[in-house]
Amino acid sequence: MIFSHLEFMSRAGIDQQTLDVWIEEEWVVPQGALELPEFTEADVARARLILDLMRDLGVNAEGVGVALHLIDQVHDMRQVLAALIDQMRLSRD
Amino acid sequence: MIEPYEILGVAKSATDDEVRKAYRRLARKHHPDVNPGSKDAEAKFREISGAYDLLSDPEKRRRFDAGEIDASGAERPQQRYYRDFAAGESGRGYGVGSGYADFADTDELLAELLGRGRRARGADLQVQLGLDMLESISGVTRQLALPNGSTINLTIPAGVEDGEVLRLKGKGVAAPSEGPPGDLLVQIAIRPHRFFRREGDDVLLELPVTLKEAALGAKVRVPVPSGAVMLSVPKGSNTGAVLRLKGKGVARPGAPGDLLVTLKVVLPKEPDPALDSFLKGWTPQNSENVRKEYES
Repeated sequence: MIFSHLEFMSRAGIDQQTLDVWIEEEWVVPQGALELPEFTEADVARARLILDLMRDLGVNAEGVGVALHLIDQVHDMRQVLAALIDQMRLSRD
Repeated sequence: MIEPYEILGVAKSATDDEVRKAYRRLARKHHPDVNPGSKDAEAKFREISGAYDLLSDPEKRRRFDAGEIDASGAERPQQRYYRDFAAGESGRGYGVGSGYADFADTDELLAELLGRGRRARGADLQVQLGLDMLESISGVTRQLALPNGSTINLTIPAGVEDGEVLRLKGKGVAAPSEGPPGDLLVQIAIRPHRFFRREGDDVLLELPVTLKEAALGAKVRVPVPSGAVMLSVPKGSNTGAVLRLKGKGVARPGAPGDLLVTLKVVLPKEPDPALDSFLKGWTPQNSENVRKEYES
């Protein structure tokens, strides 16, 4: 599913100013044309993660960027690991 | 559900501040997105956040302490976490690829396994999209069929220019392995319209009017990109006179263009005996030389 920036803001429960900062910090990266940004469900879930980090986990704004970057790297490595396991299975069979 | 105080590991006498600190400490440890590989993290986090929801609300906490309510139903509803998306295609846009780059660079076996081009970006995909001029004026949503068989909905903003290229990040060819997909480049080709032309955000129209309408003035129906409106042709309008219809041009949000109507006086196609005989007997009040500027 694809959301407009208004739908995204209402789903994430944030205002335009907050969204502008998030996009500038590249915490969320919408797709589509510049004047018509498109957001996915993954972006909405990422928005909830950002809010959880700030509200529930007590991470400050500077920390959110670091946390997201490390989380992205963990997912990268999980994908590489999954690919490696696939390769190993293939070479074993 | 276990006792909320027990879950957060705080005493019944704990202050709000102590409750919040205990919750944050546990949340940092058990949040599902901080534990992408742990199946238990989600249940554990729901338990913790449910206990916190109860104990952080003074009224709920008072009623719980007084035995009026129990801890059941305090769990937060299930939600999808970012980790559920990050593992699939939809989360690829956020990949950084730097978490393992050093291994691939130094270990031959690993580099071979990962593949040298593993992180290479997929190719950009170029497609042409033909639009009617009216669609470029009002904006339009089009479904595009891509060479790989999938379709996407593309929203084309009003005012798009002929030859303009819209870039859709990540909608191009998938990377050979781990890299991000390329972009989709949509080049716009605008088909000319029968009578509308565009100049930036303004729309131009040449409107034929009869001799009588031009001389005496009239209200005429004029097509605009969004339909039609009635236009007052002032008395004594000449060929080449331009009438501006504000906001009837390109529907750019906040700053729509105008429609510029250029009048063109046309004589009747068939000879009109009444007009002929009137003109034969007509002596203009001021015989003005209309070709003055052509004479030396």
